[in-house]
Amino acid sequence: MKPMLSTDLNAPETTVEKAKIEVKNLNFYYGQSKALKDINLSLPERSVTAFIGPSGCGKSTLLRVLNRIYELYPKQSAEGQVLLDGKNILDRSQDLNLLRTKIGMVFQKPTPFPMSIYENIAFGVRLYEKISKAEMDSRVEQALKRAALWNEVKDKLNASGLSLSGGQQQRLCIARTVAVKPEVILLDEPASALDPLSTAKIEELIDELQADYTIVIVTHNMQQAARVSRQTAFMYLGELVEFDRTEKIFTSPREKRTQDYITGRFG
Amino acid sequence: MSTAQSLHQSRKRKNAVMMTLCVTAAGIGLAWLALILGALLYKGLSGVSPAVFTEMTPPPGDAGGLLNAIYGSIVMTIIGIVVGTPIGVLAGTYMAEYGRFSRLTTVVRFINDILLSAPSIIIGLFVYELLVRPMGHFSAIAGAVALSILVIPVVVRTTEDMLNLVPNALREAGTAIGAPRWVVIRSVAYRAALSGIVTGILLAIARISGETAPLLFTALNNQFWSSNLNAPMASLPVTIFQFALSPYEEWQQLAWTGALIITLTVLGLSIIARSLTGRREDR
Repeated sequence: MKPMLSTDLNAPETTVEKAKIEVKNLNFYYGQSKALKDINLSLPERSVTAFIGPSGCGKSTLLRVLNRIYELYPKQSAEGQVLLDGKNILDRSQDLNLLRTKIGMVFQKPTPFPMSIYENIAFGVRLYEKISKAEMDSRVEQALKRAALWNEVKDKLNASGLSLSGGQQQRLCIARTVAVKPEVILLDEPASALDPLSTAKIEELIDELQADYTIVIVTHNMQQAARVSRQTAFMYLGELVEFDRTEKIFTSPREKRTQDYITGRFG
Repeated sequence: MSTAQSLHQSRKRKNAVMMTLCVTAAGIGLAWLALILGALLYKGLSGVSPAVFTEMTPPPGDAGGLLNAIYGSIVMTIIGIVVGTPIGVLAGTYMAEYGRFSRLTTVVRFINDILLSAPSIIIGLFVYELLVRPMGHFSAIAGAVALSILVIPVVVRTTEDMLNLVPNALREAGTAIGAPRWVVIRSVAYRAALSGIVTGILLAIARISGETAPLLFTALNNQFWSSNLNAPMASLPVTIFQFALSPYEEWQQLAWTGALIITLTVLGLSIIARSLTGRREDR
């Protein structure tokens, strides 16, 4: 399927935008069963793309291909191409750890490491940079400010990351991801375990972060996709059904299946 | 009386009967423990004196202490733990982290479970054949090796179990930030499972500090002070075994005191282990 982005005359600003990630003919397997069928799409730089669709449609799977986190499990495999700035990251020669410093990920459940708030952020930075204590302090502060968490934790940086509330933990995870200066941030249903107030904060944060990062968000919540994203991909049974500007998907989708899903007829 | 009321009454009666049975069963179980602890305290406490910790085991009919036996127990336990723990932790780490989906893990786990429940006297005989016979004499080092073989399965089991309890999401999070696998294991998984792994090691110490059978065939016993690892060495359990069977009153008294010391040590370690695990569950 050809992405509409490059042909849509109503959005001239998106036509000149560079694609940060291009997915070409991607198939994905859990053992023998095929979970993604010939996916093609291109994600523009510095904007938010949402993946929506019913449970089991492959949206999280697609997200997990983008930083190759699926490689932790021996029976999962991908074939096809995923180009990051034109370079195929599915290539065998791709260093996985370096890839993941460029493509950060935040998970559905908050996953603070069992260490202090400060260490949670310094941990990732220390892996690839040797910086002084003072520089690290400012790095941690910046990251926490970026994640709108600084004011709440500045007096207890040595407290355990696990002592924070769920919403705070999730923002800590975003801060941790931002601190290693990635280019792309993958969000796997980042607000589904949070209350409405924390969700609003996370969404606000996503909106601010897109100025500097290419963001991909998987969500069950269609209103959320409509609120935060610039383009939306609707997936169903492992196929990419439709990919277009978000307002187009939600107001005048081309496909009947998209129409049925967004109007709540199934899913 | 209505049906509902009579049903209620009969439920109450059944409840009373079952409660009585449960409380009695718990009481019987606890009573033995209380009796054992009581007897140990009653008979052992009267023999506790500075001499127990400063003098050697005496010849029959003489006064003395348990210093060489306490020393031997501590030395062999420490060597056993120092040798057994790294092997156990590394094996458990392989099984829970690297080999989670491999056949080898299933096989090793099965064998480890057999080793875990193997009678300790078998381990003693094994080390007798392995070390004592070729060396031609009993030695502390053989005793320590026997104890370390007892440590390994306990530590393997707890390490694997505790690492398996660490949510995969946490490993994924570590990986997603660009950490190599070994860093994720060291800095994230170990940290999350730390109190559980330490508990396993403490339980292993508790287990081997009371073992008699494997030492009978390996370190044997020594009436005198000896810090030579290549020679027979005394230990509390074996000394208790020997003294308790003897007809001499002084020896019998020392056996009671030694038994009290071991019991309190094991009790202390168990309490520390429980409180560590308890803290993890609170979090």
